[in-house]
This record gives sequence, C-alpha cells and structure tokens, in this order.
Amino acid sequence: MAVVLLWPLGYAVYLSTFDYHLGSPGMRFVGLANYAQLLSEARFWQSLWTTIGIAFGSVAVEFGLGFALALALYRLTFSTRVFMILLFLPHIITPVVATLFLKWILTSNWGLIDATLATFNINPPDWLGNPMWARVCVVLADAWIFTPFVMLVLYAALQTLDQAQIEAAKIDGAGSWRIIRHVVLPSLVPVIVFTVSVRLMDVFRFFDTIYVLTGGGPGTATETITMYTYQLGFQLLQVGKASALGIITLVIVAAIIATFSSVLQRGYGRN
Amino acid sequence: MNTDRMSQVRNQTLLFIGLAVFTLLNLVPLIWAALTSFKNPADAFTVPPTIIFEPTFEYHRQVWLERGFVHYLINSLIVSAGTVLISVPIGSLAAYALSRMPQRRASPILFALFTIRMFPHMLLAIPFFVMGSFLNMIDTYPLLIMALVAINQPFTIWLMYSFFLDIPRELDEAAAIDGCSPWQTFRIVILPLARPGLTVAALFSLLLSYNEFLFALVLTGIRTKTLPVAIASFGGEDVSDWSISAAGAIGIMMPIVLIMIFVQRHLVRGLTIGAVKG
Repeated sequence: MAVVLLWPLGYAVYLSTFDYHLGSPGMRFVGLANYAQLLSEARFWQSLWTTIGIAFGSVAVEFGLGFALALALYRLTFSTRVFMILLFLPHIITPVVATLFLKWILTSNWGLIDATLATFNINPPDWLGNPMWARVCVVLADAWIFTPFVMLVLYAALQTLDQAQIEAAKIDGAGSWRIIRHVVLPSLVPVIVFTVSVRLMDVFRFFDTIYVLTGGGPGTATETITMYTYQLGFQLLQVGKASALGIITLVIVAAIIATFSSVLQRGYGRN
Repeated sequence: MNTDRMSQVRNQTLLFIGLAVFTLLNLVPLIWAALTSFKNPADAFTVPPTIIFEPTFEYHRQVWLERGFVHYLINSLIVSAGTVLISVPIGSLAAYALSRMPQRRASPILFALFTIRMFPHMLLAIPFFVMGSFLNMIDTYPLLIMALVAINQPFTIWLMYSFFLDIPRELDEAAAIDGCSPWQTFRIVILPLARPGLTVAALFSLLLSYNEFLFALVLTGIRTKTLPVAIASFGGEDVSDWSISAAGAIGIMMPIVLIMIFVQRHLVRGLTIGAVKG
C-alpha cells in the first residue's frame, strides 16, 4: 500500500535531480540545478503569482458565496433539498464538461453573453482573449464549480450548531450580524480551516478548467504553476525539471496551509 | 404576535425567491448547453439567442454513433470499473485494520494518507508517465487504472474508516468468542454491516475515475482515450461543432446525475472524507 503511494513521490524526487529529456538517451545527474534554474526564471515566478492570484481570488469568492448560500439554506424552512441538489449540479458533473459549458457562454461573438449583449448593441470585451478578463473568467469558472462544495460543508456544519447559544444571544439582544460574527463563525472555525485548506490545495493543482477554458493564454496570462509543469513535462518532455517544479509546488502548498491554519486557530483561540 | 408571523412569512418568501433566482442563474450554462445540443447550427448562432426552435436529436445520434463516443464510453467504463474493483477491496481491508488499531497507532497513518491528497496531481503524473514510456505501457488500461487507484486509495480508506468506526468493536469480540478467525469476522460479521459504506465508497471512486482528466490525458492515446479527454479534444475549438459537442457533453453528464441522486444522502461524508467529523 505505502509502496504504491510513496513510490511515485520518491521517484519524482529522484527524477528532479537529473537533467533528463524523455526520449533522449542519457540522464545526467545535476543535483539541485533544476531547482536553481527554476527559481531564477521569470516564467516560474510569473506562473507562481498567477497561481496565487487565482487561488486566493477563487477561494475568496467561493467562501463568501458558499457561506451566504449555506446560511440562506439554513434559514429556509422548506424545499431545501431541491435547492441543494440543483445548486450542487455544477460541482458533480465532469469538470471538463462543466468548463465547456462555461466556454460556450463566454466565447466571443457566438457565446450566450456576447450574443445577448449584441442584441442590445453593447460591445463586450473579449472575455477569454483579454489577459485581465481571462483571469477573472478562470476565477469565476472555479467558483462556479466549487462554491457548491463549500456551501455543502458549511451547511452541514451549521446543522450541528448549538441552538441554545443562539437563543441566548438573541435574548441578550444581539442582531443577526452579531450572532453570525460572535456565535456562528467562531464555532465554525475548524470547518472553515478544513474547507479553505482543501480548496487551496485543489486550486494549486487545478488543471482541467484552465486547460479547457484558456489553455494558459492569452499569452501566459493564465499560466499557473500546474499549466507550466504540464508544458515542461508533457509537451517539452523535460521530466527532470518538471518534477522539480512539482516538488516546489508541493512545498509551497504545504507552507501556505500550515501558516493559514495556525494563524486562524491562534486568532480565534485568543478570544 | 401576528406581525411576527407575517414578517416570518415575508422573510421566508424573500429567501425562497432569492435562492430561486440565484439557482436559475447558476444553472444557465447547463440549460444553455442542453438547448444547444438539440439545435441545428442555424439556430445555435443567432443574435439574439433563440429559446424557441425546432429540436433535433440528430447531434446526439451523431456524437455517439459517428464520432466514436460509444468507444470512449466503453474505455471510461473499463477504467472506472477496474479502479473500483481494485481500490474498494484493498481500501476496505486497510480501513478495517486501521479502525481496529489503537488510535495512537492509526492516526499517523491516517494523517499521512490525508497529506497524499495534498499532492499536486501533476507531480504524480510525471513518474507514471516516465514509467509508462519505459515499459511501453502508454495507451494501455492497466497503467491508467494503476495511476487512478493510487490517487483514489487515500480517499477510499478514509471513507471506509469512518464507516468501520461506527461498527462497535464488541461485535468483533463476540465473533471471536464464537470461534471466528479475524478473516471470518471481517467477511461474515463486519462486511455485511458496512455494505452502505461500501456502496458509497464504490460510487465515489467511480465518479472520481470517471471524471478524472489529467491522468487520462497524459496516459492514454487513441485506443484507451476516455470520455473527458475525447470531449476536451474536440470540444471548444470549432464553433460549427457546437451542437455535436454539446450533445456529447450532456451525454457524459447523465450517468453522473443519476449516481448523484443515488448518493445524495452521503454527499457530505463522501466529499469531506470524514475529516470534518474526524
């Protein structure tokens, strides 16, 4: 079992120390040169910032929207299940398919949005062809697919809230906002840490959506680390360098999550 | 009192309307794709977009019968079934063992499994790709199945672990007193009780491998291409193919919707691999 799981990781670490083009005869041991080369490369840093921007953008949207939806569903006393299933659909369908649906909406000229706007003689921007809008579209696409996940987990956590505490706060005259801020949010901290961590991990490795929606373009506007790794490993066949990039990604993700969860837990621990 | 009730009713109505509007907007891409799949190209590219048109099943027929989607569906099914048949039995054995261990020894293993979920898939895809090219196994079923089992396994174990924990240990002890060997206990006493868990684990693994894109993209070729890879390869580019690819996309989606309706009771548990409860 452990072998099946750890072998690929070990092998990747091993590969990352070689200058190795798949298909060329020799492997040359280069130690940490792949890492050094990546870290001194503008393309690497650009893809890292793109990734961070997209990651935090989409996690923020997903969390805000997901929390609002979870609260709304929690308050609603009827037909909750129907909403749940319908809201959940984008998350469960094959990501590639979900992204294609969005692409058909966003495509210039013929997409639903552009065709609708054209009816009113509005000239829309080229959603996927303009670097800034392309990034926004990627964030929204990720949010479309993953908000339901955040919503569901938070909704499940809301179900376990202590009603007596909320009643007590109400009697003390706290308004809805104060109840949410001082009673609901603190008790949700473990779940929030969990959801946000899982989402950050996922965004750092997410691939399908960008591959289908923009292919990393226009130019390299939406080239995330994952897209860059894909280019290196599977298009240029530089598997040594690609492995090194993969390892760097893993370290970054681990660091972000460790920082995030310790900050959040400490911040709330004091109150 | 009465005004209280009225404001209650008003709040509920507003909530309902708000959620309904949001849900509808949220589903527009899906509805639009479904409509497009029944449209002739002439109806698909109009300004303003049409909602009323003469529907045709032509493109649903074409995509499955003429564009080889039946073949890709078979590939998808072989790969998903293979993954489930390997990862569920192994996963439940491992999960059972973990659930009967002292917590102190089990939790590091569980934690390690959880961190594996954190790996960038890209990082795991490279070794499989390199190994596959060495062994000349690119574009074969076993390679893709092996890779999917590897990424699927931590999930199955976590899920089954949370189900096994709910089965009281006293049952094991009682079975042992009645003279069952550990293996018999597992097979005769525990497994039947864990059947709902097994079903959920199997269905989620099925979904995971059916939806998987990256590994399928890099490890398959013409012979073993799965549905997501097929739809991505001719999906977005050519506008004149919209109706056909929409039909394909809708087709790929249908089995998942059915499975989801079936597992909805277990959705939270499945999606969070028991970590919230943990």
